[in-house]
Amino acid sequence: MTDYALTLCDVRGHGVAGISLALLSGEIAGLVGPAGAGKSTLLRIAAGCLKPVSGEVRVWGAKLEAPAARQLIGYAGENAVFPAALSVREILLYYARLHCAVNGERAPQRLVREALELSGLTGDADTRVETLGRADLRRLGLAQAVLGGRRVLLLDEMLSGLDAIAGRDVRSRIAGLAASGVAVLITSRDPAALERLAARVLVLREGRIVRAGPLATLLGERVLEVILDCPPAEPPPGFRVTATGLEAPLRGRTVEAALALCRAHRLAVRASRVRVKSLEEVVLETHDVR
Amino acid sequence: MRFLRCVYAEWLLLLPRFTRTRLGISLLALGATLIWLNSRGLEPLTVALQAGALAAIIGAAGLAGSERDHAALATALTHPTTPLALAAGRWLAVVVPASALTIVCAAVTGSQLGAVFAGVAAAAAVGACGLTAVLLLGNGAALALFLCMAVAGAVAPERLVDLARPGVVRLTAASALELGPALWHYRDIATGDWGAILHAAAWTGLGILLASACVARRRSALH
Repeated sequence: MTDYALTLCDVRGHGVAGISLALLSGEIAGLVGPAGAGKSTLLRIAAGCLKPVSGEVRVWGAKLEAPAARQLIGYAGENAVFPAALSVREILLYYARLHCAVNGERAPQRLVREALELSGLTGDADTRVETLGRADLRRLGLAQAVLGGRRVLLLDEMLSGLDAIAGRDVRSRIAGLAASGVAVLITSRDPAALERLAARVLVLREGRIVRAGPLATLLGERVLEVILDCPPAEPPPGFRVTATGLEAPLRGRTVEAALALCRAHRLAVRASRVRVKSLEEVVLETHDVR
Repeated sequence: MRFLRCVYAEWLLLLPRFTRTRLGISLLALGATLIWLNSRGLEPLTVALQAGALAAIIGAAGLAGSERDHAALATALTHPTTPLALAAGRWLAVVVPASALTIVCAAVTGSQLGAVFAGVAAAAAVGACGLTAVLLLGNGAALALFLCMAVAGAVAPERLVDLARPGVVRLTAASALELGPALWHYRDIATGDWGAILHAAAWTGLGILLASACVARRRSALH
């Protein structure tokens, strides 16, 4: 037995170049990176949809190939497709029957009811899948992934393309699942979507993890934004030009010292503010540093 | 037991499809056409065979032929089931309505019990073959198979091969008609011919296995 809900050990193949990671029960880890970085592929390998060339995936210590492990892992693809002409309830009932075939003591209707509640689809249970909007399709993807009491969730772009309200709702449902002990590995092309959800972030580029750590650590760095009357001909050392003026990571130096450097370069500072670095900036930094 | 439960789960997909898509109406139209042809002189055994085989192809197209159905298989495979259970369940969903249509057509046309068996065997064999074809090539394959069964499948190969020029084409056509599921073969099931029964059984088993291989390939196509 292990403490880890999901472990990937030196997984290689399909564009993934040797990735190891371990996910604790109740943890939400976010995979971010540009398109083609290998986020979805990594999730598909972890879900058992793709076989890695080398390395192994374990779920609660059991090899992914074992039926017991597969029962514990739920996967929701970015563009998950469901059987046509069925209602939300019928689709979930179909999947629930597959779970009950393995775990005969639980009634499929009960699993469906639980999944509908967890995903927030109770009100749309009798809606045909063809008429569902993007947000409800994402919720259906989440519902089928959690169905049967899965303890590890792999969610591919679950928050992408959702409006603010739907995004907040789906985020809170994922956070609720994590609070109940479900380990979640979620990908996003848009790093901002994960800032309010993931406790740990792994930045992927070209099939490798190029940066990883707790979100608070990655975003811990403060950035000084300086608004100028007119754009500078050349920024002071450590600063970069923005639409409104300049900005620079503080990296230990004080705000006064950074502003003094601006003044030393004869720049007319109109205003300044200090903000926390965004996850998007962390991703862009890893992309720029080759 | 687990396997059978997974098969059962799969075949229950049929019931909503039957009433909400064109599947139900297509099968009714097929049945009505065959009964009408019977009133115009088509023999009852041919009606039973055509009902089983053609309904099985329509069922395969309706239950697994669309691109959406192909893609949905990948999602199903992330749940505790196997490609074989999935293929067997879909095959069952294809064969049950085809067999029901065969029985109805046989009852209306006054066929012997042997003709019903022949029709059900044709549904099983052609259904498995049709399922593989639609999983591999989509609904275009179902249409080709439908036309092949409706026209060429009912005719003995000796008569068709004579139409082709000697050589490779003739040999290929003869082999295909001899080995493939064809209704002229399954006519003999009505008289209890074991060779025909084994032919149908072999195509049923092979078709389900090939269909399960096609389903397994969908796993890596998950989006």
